[in-house]
Amino acid sequence: MRTRAAIITAKFLVLLLRKFGRGGTSLPGKAALWIQPDLLQILTLPLRIILVTGTNGKTTTARIISEILDRAGISHISNRSGSNLLNGIAAMLVEKCSLKGSFSADTALLELDEAAFRLACTRMRPHAVVVTNFFRDQLDRYGELYSTLNAVREGLAHTGPDTALILNADDSLCTSLAKDSKGPVFFYGVEASAVSGDPAKTDLDALHCIYCGSRYAYAHRTYGHLGGFCCPGCGYSRPGLQVACTRILREDTGGMSVDVNLRLPGQEEQTIRMDIALPGLYNLYNALAAAGCGFALNLPVQAVTAAVARFQSGFGRMETLNCGDRQIKLILVKNPAGFNQVLAHLAPVKAGLHAAFLLNDNIADGTDVSWIWDVDFESFSDAPGIPARISVCGRRKWDMALRLKYSGFDEGDIHVEPSYSQLIQNALGAMAPGECLTLLPTYTAMLTIRRELSKHFSLPEFWA
Amino acid sequence: MEALRICHLYPDLLNLYGDRGNLLSLCQRLKWRGLPYQLTRISLGEDFDPEAFDLVFLGGGQDYEQALLQEDLLIKKGSAIKEAVLQDVVFLCICGGYQMMGKAYITAEGRRIECLGAIDVITQAGKKRMIGNLVFKPQLDTLPTWLAAGFENHSGRTWPGSGVKPLGRVVKGFGNNGKDGTEGAIYRNVFCSYSHGSLLPKNPRLADELLFRAFARMRPSFKRQDLSPLADVFEEKAGTSILSLLHIRPDG
Repeated sequence: MRTRAAIITAKFLVLLLRKFGRGGTSLPGKAALWIQPDLLQILTLPLRIILVTGTNGKTTTARIISEILDRAGISHISNRSGSNLLNGIAAMLVEKCSLKGSFSADTALLELDEAAFRLACTRMRPHAVVVTNFFRDQLDRYGELYSTLNAVREGLAHTGPDTALILNADDSLCTSLAKDSKGPVFFYGVEASAVSGDPAKTDLDALHCIYCGSRYAYAHRTYGHLGGFCCPGCGYSRPGLQVACTRILREDTGGMSVDVNLRLPGQEEQTIRMDIALPGLYNLYNALAAAGCGFALNLPVQAVTAAVARFQSGFGRMETLNCGDRQIKLILVKNPAGFNQVLAHLAPVKAGLHAAFLLNDNIADGTDVSWIWDVDFESFSDAPGIPARISVCGRRKWDMALRLKYSGFDEGDIHVEPSYSQLIQNALGAMAPGECLTLLPTYTAMLTIRRELSKHFSLPEFWA
Repeated sequence: MEALRICHLYPDLLNLYGDRGNLLSLCQRLKWRGLPYQLTRISLGEDFDPEAFDLVFLGGGQDYEQALLQEDLLIKKGSAIKEAVLQDVVFLCICGGYQMMGKAYITAEGRRIECLGAIDVITQAGKKRMIGNLVFKPQLDTLPTWLAAGFENHSGRTWPGSGVKPLGRVVKGFGNNGKDGTEGAIYRNVFCSYSHGSLLPKNPRLADELLFRAFARMRPSFKRQDLSPLADVFEEKAGTSILSLLHIRPDG
């Protein structure tokens, strides 16, 4: 009875909010959970659950998994709009279930941040858990890096032998979670043979062994603290991989082509060619994580390769919008590791680049903007080529402007825009037809700029 | 002109909350003025020579990393750092670095962890983390005050003893302990603060004060005017815009 009441109330709220043009809020979920606190347990019981957590790449990874499920013919529901707290999950479930609380789909794919993951594990039994990585992110909200890792660890303590765990083997923090698993573990990663040269000279997040405190030795590194780590003190080291990228054959702004070696339980070892429709090492990891999930669920290789080859990101993750005869590329930035990867992607095309950095300090962005000083803007500023126009906007635009100035840009070359509408007008006005403006917003800045853009151009809805 | 010798202590372990911005600020402000500097990174297992540096930066780290270096800091470098402090080397210590310069850290269980004892402060563990924007009025004998803005994130409550002066008075936020209205500490040329943000980029007056003191110690004839004025437009705006977001009037 309570469940029925919760569903009806929430569904009504969803309709009401839509009518007033407020998609993607978690209010209906909050109301539903208030009426029926056990709602998540009850609704998800008949579903096969896939959970995706970690610091960076959750959304992209979850969306590639969704594409894989589509191609394997598995009907599923998922929380797509980046609302990855429990209220948001509840809102999504009540919106998609029947009045009786049943679903036409048999699988739920949920992207959760670490704190929500811990709670979710006490309320549902996941079939597969994918963990992307652990980087510093919004420490003002969750405390320190090791607390976020422990949140995931505590969540995993509630899982059983029927939960497959898909882990990033190149992340020493992530790999340590294998010990908490009672079920099968699938490791994915990038082998030394795939990467060349030294990664950016940034300071690492996890420099010392999580068990004994000795400094890790690295056989190779891809970016951040990811790579072939080995502790000389206690021997803790990167495990053998089930899903291993062994070679990058091609990489350009359109994506990459890689060899992936598979050593799956009960199957013969094989190497497959994967075309990935997204550029950047971090997207390679996202694709490998999603592929690992597909293999853990015993889905056909064909479904996996077809999905990563066709996947187009959205909702601010390298999403490209057509704005009249000009283009806008939206790339969400939220922490130093992710930002560094985005800057590494932009550095080769710096000459003539139109870019705008949008910094907010709302709760969803992290109220502390100090992290921008941990981003390696110096390498970007030192890279050859002169950008066409660099703009900044957002609640903390002056902090952003100051950061760029201290990285080596001239004050006069940084356009500080008072409002998003002015930014769009001035930045697009400075471009020739056919050119592309790259927007790098934090989370709430992305929501606002998207809303602003939709006043001028027709954009795809984002609560779909 | 001799290069200003700057030392970054434990850069690979104490690198939280953008504190490296303080070094970027110091180095860029020297570069823009055409003044030479030399930046040295010193970490675990390496000796710290008290004669080798004019300005030292010690930031904060996560608990795990701070525990890793505790022994190295106290036993390997402790007496050399105290020696440098007494020789009026300029120090900037933020958050965890500030706590470690003090006498001791008292844990939640009442256990006393000895710290460097370079300055007269004691820190007590607290339950509730003090997180948020921090605005304070620096109180330096040598400079008129202003509203300094940063961001604090600490659970330790630091109590200044009679041997130090507070760096400033809290206008918004918690500061040292959330009780006595003080923020940070000054002892000789040691400047300590809970303010991340980073502190120096948005507070160029403080950055220049540190630079001036470091040069003046090297060459007594060095004058404040020898640090040529910089435009500081973005610096000023970044400082005042956060005040207006917090609804604090610029006159305090």
